[in-house]
Amino acid sequence: MNAPVTRRGTHPAARIVVRAGPVAWQVLSVAGLLVAWEALARLNAGSYVLAGPVAVTRYGVEHAGLLAHAAGITLANAAWGFLWGNLAAVALAAAILLVPRLERCVVALSLVVFCLPLVATGPILRVALGPGNGPQIALAALAVHYTTLLALLVGLRAVPRSWLDLVESYGRGAGAQLLHIRAMAALPYLAAGLRIAVPAAILGAMVGEFTGAERGLGVLTIRAMRALDVDATWAIALIAAGIAIVAYRAFGALLGFVTDPPALLLAAPAPAIRRGRMRRAGELAVTILATLALWQGGMDALGLSPFFARRPGDVLAFLVTDAGAASHRAALAGAYGETLFYAVPGYLAGLALGAGLACAVVLAPGLATIVLPLAVALRSVPIVTTAPLLVLALGRGATGTITIVAVMIFFPTLVAALQGLRQAPGQVIDIFASYATGRWRTLALARVPAMLPAFFAAARMGVPAAILAATTAEWLATGRGIGGLMALTASTSGYNMLWSATALVALTATLAYALVARIERAVLRVYGPEQLAR
Amino acid sequence: MAPDGAPAAPGHAVLCTDLVKVFDASGDPVPAVGPLNATFAAGRTTALVGPSGCGKSTLLRMIAGLERPSAGAIRIGGGTPHDLARRAGLAMAFQDAALLPWRSVRGNVALGLRLARRPADPARVERLIETVGLGGFGDRRPAELSGGMRQRAAIARCLVSAPELLLLDEPFGAVDELTRRRLNRDLPALWQGTTAILVTHSVVEAAMLADRVLVLSPRPATIVAAIDVPLPRPRDEDDSALRERIARIAGALRTSAPGRALAAQ
Repeated sequence: MNAPVTRRGTHPAARIVVRAGPVAWQVLSVAGLLVAWEALARLNAGSYVLAGPVAVTRYGVEHAGLLAHAAGITLANAAWGFLWGNLAAVALAAAILLVPRLERCVVALSLVVFCLPLVATGPILRVALGPGNGPQIALAALAVHYTTLLALLVGLRAVPRSWLDLVESYGRGAGAQLLHIRAMAALPYLAAGLRIAVPAAILGAMVGEFTGAERGLGVLTIRAMRALDVDATWAIALIAAGIAIVAYRAFGALLGFVTDPPALLLAAPAPAIRRGRMRRAGELAVTILATLALWQGGMDALGLSPFFARRPGDVLAFLVTDAGAASHRAALAGAYGETLFYAVPGYLAGLALGAGLACAVVLAPGLATIVLPLAVALRSVPIVTTAPLLVLALGRGATGTITIVAVMIFFPTLVAALQGLRQAPGQVIDIFASYATGRWRTLALARVPAMLPAFFAAARMGVPAAILAATTAEWLATGRGIGGLMALTASTSGYNMLWSATALVALTATLAYALVARIERAVLRVYGPEQLAR
Repeated sequence: MAPDGAPAAPGHAVLCTDLVKVFDASGDPVPAVGPLNATFAAGRTTALVGPSGCGKSTLLRMIAGLERPSAGAIRIGGGTPHDLARRAGLAMAFQDAALLPWRSVRGNVALGLRLARRPADPARVERLIETVGLGGFGDRRPAELSGGMRQRAAIARCLVSAPELLLLDEPFGAVDELTRRRLNRDLPALWQGTTAILVTHSVVEAAMLADRVLVLSPRPATIVAAIDVPLPRPRDEDDSALRERIARIAGALRTSAPGRALAAQ
């Protein structure tokens, strides 16, 4: 097609210039970034903050064998966790399909497990499973199962009514619908969900390694941080990020993706039918009871020692009936408040910056050439694994923690918001154009409303991510807040406090997630009613 | 003559007795159909026309066994719709064609045999693809076809299992006017001899396709007029005898739903 080129003339050379433009820009901007990075590193030499590209490369070359070995181990653990977590998700989705009544309870339990702070589950799994690879694999599995389950549930339902009617009109039942229709229709969603799970699995494996493994990139990270080895910290973080990006891309290519999966892939599970208040209260009670039963029953069934595997009753006693319950509560509340003080502003800042930059890209399309490739690449980076860098750069105070949380939220929000802004129907945009409406008004009246569903999907999925980022930063770096409290009690065997903190954090994340999901549904009812349909 | 040269499957009459459907999802009952009594003659094509939202699709879905009547009964050849569906004696075409995008035309037509639990019969599948005028398009995916071609493929999928009852829910509602005229002229011959029930909001389409047109009232649907169209096929839209029937159907619709704009094309 010559049409787009006519502006520049149809001479073949002109066409090449047009096509080469963005690539040249990208090469130039990458080169510029490298130079600026090196310059910044030289200026800050001696402050133990930043290692330039030269120093990082030198470290990487000198320790190539060690790094490759560690990366291989981390990747293997991530791969096993990826496998188990996704198998669990498929099994849960199958159970929900067979017994639809289970859905709310299973999804809620899965969410609670997803919201468990890895910072606490890591050390607990370490005690339970020993020094091997078990905890890393388990954490990677925990980190991936929920998103895959959501993607599967959306995919299994993203089927036009008439396709199901077709099967039923031949007198065939749910089994044939699953075989001929739902399973096939869900495949692209499963593939996209698996792709999202790739960086999550690497993140889970690395956090698992932070908790006292013997080998892996996470172990090297901890060592480098303790030794204040800035070159090593930077090199390892960059390698981890690079592995995640490459794995994400390779997996996408393997599954035949050209573009990113749609942000709405992780749409909130639709409330099937409007239910009565009593019914909903009943379901909530069942879910809470099931969570407690799973907690108590799971530990009893696995025969875990009550010394470190505390039961719900222990936590209740510790916080309510014990002699020192009041002081326990005060300690917990203080740490909890401190964490929220960092996590909430970081979360909101990440959302605002992500949506804001997306709008800026729409207003000034030239910006997209530089921002987009970077954002899409960094979105697949498990940001938590780069937490040590941000702590090095920003110090161990409030700024560091808030920035880590904000960065963790920022990239997924940016990508989702950009996808959402493009969702505005072409006809609507044409109508605005036919009135010669300005860019700002078109943005505010047509594009932003179209963006809201994707934005809120990102905001919801960002809740557990924000808490993970805040607690990990506190755990690795600042030693304050509830992450610091969990790290301290894990190392001093203060398991009552550790379990209390874990329960509190999981409860907070679950409730905050449910709250955002509620707002999301109210927004969808107006701005995207088709997405609420089953 | 049936499309593959074999005699058409023996048709069954469809009998609706005191049929009622009330939707009651939110505690606020909405009557959709009835009480309605009707007979759909064996081996004939009957069209249901009525104002939009009058419950004609609900009636068709009940006959297909996709909805359960709130009261009354549907008998097809002595059994229930469910009995007929279970022995795969029923085939339904949908407004959106309902072709599976990951299957080729051939795969979609063959699905009609698979869902009906019949043995695979590639020769028959090919013959039907030819008959509906899609010869040479067997390997194409639905996304590569025009709307009219998709509906042809859907009709082929319906006919491949030699159904005893064919249900058509606004099958040509989403195709352009010219294509629709061609489909209305060419396709009825394919299911001649089979009992067929067609839901449409187009008076012209009803007259083109049906041996008998039932005009429905606004919701809840009851039958307000029955108009026979005893004209030979293929029919011509501009034929004066057909025009006269069209005027009568449109007149019955106007009295059934006064004050409503009619899609008389």
